[in-house]
Amino acid sequence: MKSIFLGGMAGSGKTAIALGLALKLQDEGFKVGYFKPISTTKDLHQTQDQDVLLFQKVLSLPHGAEVISPVRIGPYCLSGGTKRSPESLKRKILEAWKTVAQDLDVVLVDGYLSPYTAASLGLDAISLIKMLDSTMLYVIRMEDDYSLDKSLFYNNHFRLSGIPVLGNIFNNVERTLLDKTRGVYAPILEEQGHVVLGVIPRKTEIASPTVQEFYEALEGVLLTEENVGLNRLVEDVVIGSMTIDGALSYLRRAPNKAVITGGDRSDLAITALETSTSVLILTGGLYPDVSVLSRAIEKKVPVILVHYDTYTTIERLHEVTRRIRPEDEIGIQIAKKNIADHCRWQAVVEYVKG
Amino acid sequence: MSSLQSLFKPNSIAVIGASNNKEKIGYSIVENIKNCGYSGAVYPINPKEKEILGYQCYPSIGEIGRPVDVAVISIPAAPSLQVARECGQAGVKFLVVITAGFKEIGEVGLKREKELLEICREYNMRLVGPNVVGIMDTHSPLNASFADGSPEKGEIAFISQSGAMLLAILDWSRSRGLGFSRFVSMGNKADLNEVDFIWSAAEDPNTKVILAYLEDVTDGKRFIQVVREASLKKPVIILKSGTSSAGARAASSHTGALAGSDLAYDVAFRQCGVIRVQEMSDLFDLAISFINQPVPAGDRVAIVTNSGGPGIIATDSVERNGLHMARFSKETIEKMRQHLPVEASLYNPVDVLGDARADRFNVALEAVLEDEQTDSLLLLLSPTAVTEPEKTAESLVSLRKKYASKPIFASLTGGKRLEKGARILTQAGIPCFPFPEPALKSIAGMVSYTRLRQKIQRRTPLPEVTEKAKATVKAILYDVMRDHRSVLLGNEASQVAAAYGIPVAPIYLAKTPEEAITIADSLGYPIVLKVASPKIIHKSDVGGVQVGLENAAQVREGYLKIMDSVSRLLPGTPVYGIEVQKMMPKGPETIIGMTRDLQFGPLLAFGLGGIYVNLLKDVSFRLAEGLNMEEIEEMITETKAHTLLRGYRGSTPCDLCAITEALARVARLSLDFPEIKEIDLNPVIAYPDSAMALDVKITAANENEQEE
Repeated sequence: MKSIFLGGMAGSGKTAIALGLALKLQDEGFKVGYFKPISTTKDLHQTQDQDVLLFQKVLSLPHGAEVISPVRIGPYCLSGGTKRSPESLKRKILEAWKTVAQDLDVVLVDGYLSPYTAASLGLDAISLIKMLDSTMLYVIRMEDDYSLDKSLFYNNHFRLSGIPVLGNIFNNVERTLLDKTRGVYAPILEEQGHVVLGVIPRKTEIASPTVQEFYEALEGVLLTEENVGLNRLVEDVVIGSMTIDGALSYLRRAPNKAVITGGDRSDLAITALETSTSVLILTGGLYPDVSVLSRAIEKKVPVILVHYDTYTTIERLHEVTRRIRPEDEIGIQIAKKNIADHCRWQAVVEYVKG
Repeated sequence: MSSLQSLFKPNSIAVIGASNNKEKIGYSIVENIKNCGYSGAVYPINPKEKEILGYQCYPSIGEIGRPVDVAVISIPAAPSLQVARECGQAGVKFLVVITAGFKEIGEVGLKREKELLEICREYNMRLVGPNVVGIMDTHSPLNASFADGSPEKGEIAFISQSGAMLLAILDWSRSRGLGFSRFVSMGNKADLNEVDFIWSAAEDPNTKVILAYLEDVTDGKRFIQVVREASLKKPVIILKSGTSSAGARAASSHTGALAGSDLAYDVAFRQCGVIRVQEMSDLFDLAISFINQPVPAGDRVAIVTNSGGPGIIATDSVERNGLHMARFSKETIEKMRQHLPVEASLYNPVDVLGDARADRFNVALEAVLEDEQTDSLLLLLSPTAVTEPEKTAESLVSLRKKYASKPIFASLTGGKRLEKGARILTQAGIPCFPFPEPALKSIAGMVSYTRLRQKIQRRTPLPEVTEKAKATVKAILYDVMRDHRSVLLGNEASQVAAAYGIPVAPIYLAKTPEEAITIADSLGYPIVLKVASPKIIHKSDVGGVQVGLENAAQVREGYLKIMDSVSRLLPGTPVYGIEVQKMMPKGPETIIGMTRDLQFGPLLAFGLGGIYVNLLKDVSFRLAEGLNMEEIEEMITETKAHTLLRGYRGSTPCDLCAITEALARVARLSLDFPEIKEIDLNPVIAYPDSAMALDVKITAANENEQEE
């Protein structure tokens, strides 16, 4: 039984890679499992980690969520007391691992947040890999040359700590960086002896957040119909606070955007609805005029009302990343296709076999 | 376009929701129909009554057994849909839905209104409203409304988007003795809107002047096409509210009206020949003027007064309203000199002095009216001890018959002394005001109508382009959409412009310094490099522009400098590469722009360009819809840039034809491709024998993005 540990910075897209790989390996006839040693919930109302739910459905996993993801921690984990002692947590993980790994050819282990997370508990990526006798598959998200520096540093560190590394995947690469990634970044990694398994271009259909993610992050009130427009992609966030004269030109520049404006700005809201808008976020707790809601409903654009101000709204939206949901058939297929088309999955198959 | 004849002069009319209860709207409507003198068949509908106000009452529209032209519906919103259906089945041609509770109340009402509209379409019925006061035609006669009675008979049609305003004006008009041909309350304008009613009024032989109060225009394109033809027949005077941004917000709240650019409305109205007024009082002052007076041939005003002070005030007002003081011929001056005292002022304004009686006035008035230079006349009378207001009024009235082609106005500034004189003038159809300013505003309004009508006559159409050109543009736009962008890169915009013959210095995209050098070598030096990113609007602000690069080494250095600067100042911004362009010689900078107004379509702008354009704002505007070459030429002359371009302080005159052609082609591109939302050519350098845009920005949008 082989296991592959998906490591990478928070937001690099580890889970989508895990999903694509899992499906591809299944296609190749392997029995595939999923394990997420550490997880969290970000919603007061959710009791399950969303990724666990996704894999339970897609891979038809027989185990419960507590087995697939035995440990829950958060940014406050060091103050947990004896229940949170590193030793007890490690034991929990190993026990669950025994169950999860039974009768399988390969298990994909999903890293939590960044490689360094939970280092203080001895549960960082490197420690976990050693504990589970796994191998690292590092997922990289590129923004500029500094991102390459970071990846190089981590790869060198993996080598120094002696853990096996299956390879690196450049994920969600923007069209404008694609050539540079293939022609400059990947070769630099390879020159230093690190394996590059793939360069996956960004597909907005699974890389951009949807209105649903925004709604969950904001915890506001949905003023339009439930389940209408919540799966719209949000590719940009724009603040509408200007006078109406220049507003139209400004709002036209970004397609599929979230527009944030005060609830009393009917003029701006209605103008925004005349351009490509995915969601209207109204701040200050000011309920909008009926005309705004009518128009939004006509255009199937969700309207979310929050009681706090614009600055707070932006802060809360900072960390929004896309989650692929169990019902997202299209997203799941894209994740699989990304691996099939842009990744040397044959090398992974070799590893699992051999 | 239908003239709505059966609506305003129906053979039969049904009132659904009619009532014997005097408190109910259903009663007022039937009462109005009865009292206005309507001569057709009247069918009140109410299952609980046998007879209302002497008319036999029916339980439902289906049971009348005879055709019904118009059905007025005044029952609650929820059951109204079923009733509308019954009307359709009975073959009713027009529905006038008084009932409120539709789009104006929100989502539930909006759905209801949509359903109502569908029912009307299904049965080929036209709909007035919903949410209206009703409609009236004093010549028909017909009063299908719940207003307090009818207006006096007259020749003014008043179309209003506000029912409340209509009711207020009705009452006021009766105290003023002002008559109307039609009163129309449009309500939610779900079907019939201002375009239909304005056209119908233009076709109505009993209407001489068309007034409208609007908060928005439903279909801008159709408005321009139809109202332009209507203004050629009769003056169309419009008061549109929501001009200030606060007002616009109020309008959005009131009717969900799009806070469309007021500038676009202004331009649209002017291009259609509509006279726009800013105040309610102007609406009616102008109407009265148009009813009673001929349209002036020009903008030259003659003023005859017996009081110097008011004379000067009136003169100021003439200039302020964009009119001119007439300059009399020698003969006119001589005529007056012979009969008027030596101290009298004979040059416009003519001051006949405070001791003038009716005879002295008569001399001056006649001489002035006879003069060819006089297009319109204003009599300014103040009461002194010897003034003869009634006699003076009478001589003006008889002079009017002699000079019937020139509009005459009067301002009698005083009180009881002048009352009788004022009444003589008013009854003779000479508009009389207590102060000179409203009189001059009216003259200005009439003059603008003359000017606008003349303008609409000439038309050389915009140039056409080949199918191949259109296909090229379509392909480029497709690629941009696929990349999930709205903003075109410089090289893409440059290709679109080139396809349409819009002169732009070509822009090529380089992804590496080597590529930039290759392009530079083929274009020739000196070279300009600009960062290619849809997210960066002001490139020079972030070190995104390098100019005057003379050789390959400088190009390489420039390329790297830009990439470094942009990645430092705007980290994370997607950069597609660097745009390479040949530098052009200097020259006067102009700007050509297009922004697609939500109501009226592409709005063209021309003016002084460069980086100070937003500061100086020397710009003129036209809508591309219905635009012709003459209009474009005029547009250019309206700016200060024009003076510069013609040659200022020793500089060589520039190729205005090239500018006109460029503007025309931008208009053509905007009309051919509704996906293109904004075009910005800044600067466009005007040379002596050509014009060239140094930068072009285009924003596009997919009309049907993410429809479910």
